Amino acid sequence: MPAHPTLQLDPDLARFIAGGVSINAGSASATGVPSLCRAFGCRVEPDAGRITVFFAAPQAADLVRDATRSGALAVVFSEPPTHRTVQIKGRDARLAPLGEGDLACVNAYRAAFAQCLVFLGFTEVMVRTLLDCPDEALVALTFTPSALFNSTPGAQAGTPLIPALMPPPAAGAP
Amino acid sequence: MIPVRALRDCLDGVIPGVVSTCAPDGTPNVAYMSQGQYLDDRHLALSYQFFNRTHQNLLANPRVTLGLIHPQTAQQYRVHLTYQRTESEGPIFESMKAKLAGIASHTGMSGVFRLLGSDIYRIERAEVVPGSTLPAPLPAVDPLLALRTCMERLPLSPDAESLLDAMLDGLQAHFAIEQALVMMLDPGRDRLYTVASRGYPTSGVGSELQVGDGVIGVAARERVPIRISHVTSEYAYGLAMREGAERQGLGDRLETEIPFPGLAAPGSQLAVPIPGAREPLGVLFVESPTEMRFTHADEDALVALATQVGGLFRLFLAELELADEAQSGVPRDPPPAGPPLRVRHYAANDSIFLGDDYLIKGVAGNILWTLLQDYQALGRTQFSNRELRADPRVRLPDQSDNLEARLVLLHRRLAERQACVQLEKTGRGRFRLLVGRPLELEDMDLGT
Repeated sequence: MPAHPTLQLDPDLARFIAGGVSINAGSASATGVPSLCRAFGCRVEPDAGRITVFFAAPQAADLVRDATRSGALAVVFSEPPTHRTVQIKGRDARLAPLGEGDLACVNAYRAAFAQCLVFLGFTEVMVRTLLDCPDEALVALTFTPSALFNSTPGAQAGTPLIPALMPPPAAGAP
Repeated sequence: MIPVRALRDCLDGVIPGVVSTCAPDGTPNVAYMSQGQYLDDRHLALSYQFFNRTHQNLLANPRVTLGLIHPQTAQQYRVHLTYQRTESEGPIFESMKAKLAGIASHTGMSGVFRLLGSDIYRIERAEVVPGSTLPAPLPAVDPLLALRTCMERLPLSPDAESLLDAMLDGLQAHFAIEQALVMMLDPGRDRLYTVASRGYPTSGVGSELQVGDGVIGVAARERVPIRISHVTSEYAYGLAMREGAERQGLGDRLETEIPFPGLAAPGSQLAVPIPGAREPLGVLFVESPTEMRFTHADEDALVALATQVGGLFRLFLAELELADEAQSGVPRDPPPAGPPLRVRHYAANDSIFLGDDYLIKGVAGNILWTLLQDYQALGRTQFSNRELRADPRVRLPDQSDNLEARLVLLHRRLAERQACVQLEKTGRGRFRLLVGRPLELEDMDLGT
């Protein structure tokens, strides 16, 4: 299986995507029909170079089916007050079991996103309702970033962000 | 299928929609969409602001999945769409452009959000995303009931003036819309003039603006309702008017003497054309200091109301064609006593000054001048709309011109100024000139 090059997220970007930002992920079926789902936070593993994104399983059925079939996943992270938006794409998405600390990660995300939107005039109950999901229904998709884009609205939207390129993991590495 | 009402609430720009597309090689792309517009149960339009990956993708693969969130209930929806075409002019584009300008201003993106086009999509399928929701809040006003109640009084109105009053009163009483006005179209000059208003410190009757300027002017030009939830200077009528006045000479300086009555700091505005046979008869305009005050349902109700008013207005115009001539042999009114008042008429723009006070200009000014000349020369005080329409001195721009609206304007302007000349209705399509002082008529531009 060919190894994908790994993009190293710089610490600022890693902090940004793990904060109280709006997260949406997309993939597509074999016939080119796009799928889409809102995420409930993400976890960045700088050492492994992987990003894990959390979803409510009943909402993410199409996305999980498409992403695990093709491996293709696009995740867009946007900060509502500033419109700063970053899109990260991967080609090796797969389902991952929720690890220790992931529930706490989702709960911290809910609090951070609610705080961000309350500041913009939404009610906390509205944001909490949007991000409501039983713990046991959470699923995770994990992927290695293969492309980063600045998606902040404007003429520059869609330009690639130049990250530090890491050597691919050695053969036999997890 | 998602209820249309929920879909329209989601598309209002409170929470940006999310668009998922796919390149020919299978690479997905996800982007935020500023604004959408429901067109009919098979079509919607999304704003196209930048030529980005989304647009490249959908030119190659027209399938799009749109994620929406209801701003009150938090219910999520997914709408599966097929891209059809991009429109960069016309009613859909202009309506979205106005709305987007408001959203851009509200979100601090004025310099960034510019509408390049309206992308038109066919709706293939829509699904409700499973998840928790909140109960929808009950609206303070039920627009359908308000519309019904408001419409009941309209057919009882004996003339155009009371019809407009019935509509504006109804908006206040049943829709709780405090600020409203009606502007009628002067098709020859491509301008709109205010004939009635409610809820402002001054009525603004007689104030004008250019077709195409601001929310009202765009609604008239495109014949489409324009609803803005966050008002921006780009569509503010006041600004456009001031700029116009600075460019022009005397003629337009006069317009500033009747200031537009609108709110100084509006939050929401809605302009609805009053349909005529060809071009609109005018525009109904409502506004509020509160942002997001007017809903899709309000827009629907006001469109229905304006359609009804337009139909009745045209009925009045048709009836006037059949009305009797002014009766002859009516005894003359005794001549008034007191010091004479100098009345000046400037033929260049048909402006009329009573003493030193500017009163009115244009066709309404010319009508008054014609009446005063007949009064002075023949002692006439009884007139009919029908004979005015036929009078070559009145110089109506064309046969379809809305003489009735111009008489409403003249009547209101004279009443507001408590002028020594007044118009009094004496029957359908007939009126009487009441003159309280001796007059000295002076035509200022003769021979020039």
